[in-house]
Amino acid sequence: MTNASTTLNRTTAPSPGEATAIAQTRLTEDWLAVWIGLFVFALSLSLLFGIDLLGWTVTTSVWTVPSKALAPASKHYANLPAPLSLAAAYFFLLVILLVAVKTLRVDLKRFAVGFTAVFIVSYACWFLGSWAYIAATPDKRPALKIAWSLNLTNESGFIIALLAGLVVGNFLPGVARALKEAVRPELYIKTAIVILGGFLGIAALEQRQLATSVIFRGICAIIEAYLIYWPVVYFISRRYFGFSREWAAPLASGISICGVSAAIATGSAIRARPVVPIMVSSLVVIFSVVELMVLPFAAQHYLYGQPLVAGAWMGLAVKTDGAAVASGAITDALIRAKALAASGVAFQPGWIMGVSTTVKVFIDVFIGVWAFILAWVWSAKIERRPGEKVRVVEIWQRFPKFILGYVATFLIVLAIGVAVPGLIPKVKASMAQANLFRAIFFLMTFFAIGVLSNFRKLWQEGIARLAAVYVLCLFGYIIWVGLLISWLFFHGMLPPTLKG
Amino acid sequence: MTMREPHVAEELRKMESEYEPLLPVERKLIWYTFGAGVVLLAIFVLISRWFV
Repeated sequence: MTNASTTLNRTTAPSPGEATAIAQTRLTEDWLAVWIGLFVFALSLSLLFGIDLLGWTVTTSVWTVPSKALAPASKHYANLPAPLSLAAAYFFLLVILLVAVKTLRVDLKRFAVGFTAVFIVSYACWFLGSWAYIAATPDKRPALKIAWSLNLTNESGFIIALLAGLVVGNFLPGVARALKEAVRPELYIKTAIVILGGFLGIAALEQRQLATSVIFRGICAIIEAYLIYWPVVYFISRRYFGFSREWAAPLASGISICGVSAAIATGSAIRARPVVPIMVSSLVVIFSVVELMVLPFAAQHYLYGQPLVAGAWMGLAVKTDGAAVASGAITDALIRAKALAASGVAFQPGWIMGVSTTVKVFIDVFIGVWAFILAWVWSAKIERRPGEKVRVVEIWQRFPKFILGYVATFLIVLAIGVAVPGLIPKVKASMAQANLFRAIFFLMTFFAIGVLSNFRKLWQEGIARLAAVYVLCLFGYIIWVGLLISWLFFHGMLPPTLKG
Repeated sequence: MTMREPHVAEELRKMESEYEPLLPVERKLIWYTFGAGVVLLAIFVLISRWFV
């Protein structure tokens, strides 16, 4: 989505120059996510050398008394007042993001103002979502001295952030415009995914066999997603809705694969005009929010006995990286809370979200390959262009680079743990600190997705027919086939349980 | 990519009257891809259940 996200609300085609700029920014933002994520990851690893470089950052507990909610993450900084700890987290992120976005040539002053608002609103939502009456699970109620709670865990802060973003995006257009420079859901979520790699590396260290199974099944599931989703959506768009090839291919990729990135890659592969993937992308973002608000709760209700099926389902059914991984995070929290309340089973956190992320990441890996195949079919068979050759290097050009950061953090943690098992507790503590920043990036992603989701577009002239295909295919086919495939590959597999 | 800025609503309406029929190569792409998906699904499910 990246810079394209800022163009999603337009219906006119950008000029070729603008389209090139969007493509270049996409690439740069992907690399920025890698460097920011690796920077936070590297600082967190300082614990291995006895230095605590991130322990000052803020953590938020489930609270009944607001003044006791915030605290520094590490005991080394126990004397640091909580508001200072929060301010330090804000300034740290502001500085590294300012350095990063400087390369995108954005207006730094506007970014700083926008980011300040995004951070404050997002963290306020997290704080509110951590209120015991909203967040506490049944086992925590006696300690918190409360008789009831909504049992939503503190991840309900994500939903609150999304709702806050939707209010801004749909009812306060002036505010949304003022925040525009800092509303970058793809940059935030990709950075979070890079950090998440290390966190999942810990999970893999502790449960190697289960992690191997999850990765293998993740690969299988995504191949199926490409081969079973895409042709059916393309056929329905062409045969029953009468779309031209130029519209049907990006639409099929947008609905079937990975939303915005796939629609843009396909549009470019078949030489569609820029307006086509941009219109498709608008729909992808809007319906991702609908899925994000519905599917995790459906999964909690119907799939709490099959947590990893639920995780894979989020990765296969929810489009855009941000919404898919975010759905995985909410599903993780909701299902763990329900399993604990209903059957007393305490699953380890992170596994459900890990499956969603694994599936989504593998889907992203194949976007370039799929775009290459379509480019070849279009140029060689459908719209023959004499002398034109599709270059293999285009697969790399379309490869989502942030995945390299995710794989790197995953493998580094795995390698350290395998090589020096005695360091595992320290690596775990390091990743716990990095994970606090992952949560903040997640929060800002939710808020930013809400701000960018302009539901009024659905009523715009002309988009109704596109939306009709989207609704039919997404809710009538993709979601159910995604559930079936997730069930086939993941049923019977359970995350490890917490000890004690 | 063209510089022309299309009016999306008008263009989508026009598509209904100027339908581009499915070419044989498109039908092949659809059916081969779907067929490969179903066959691979069966193979991968078996592998994942028995070997991994």
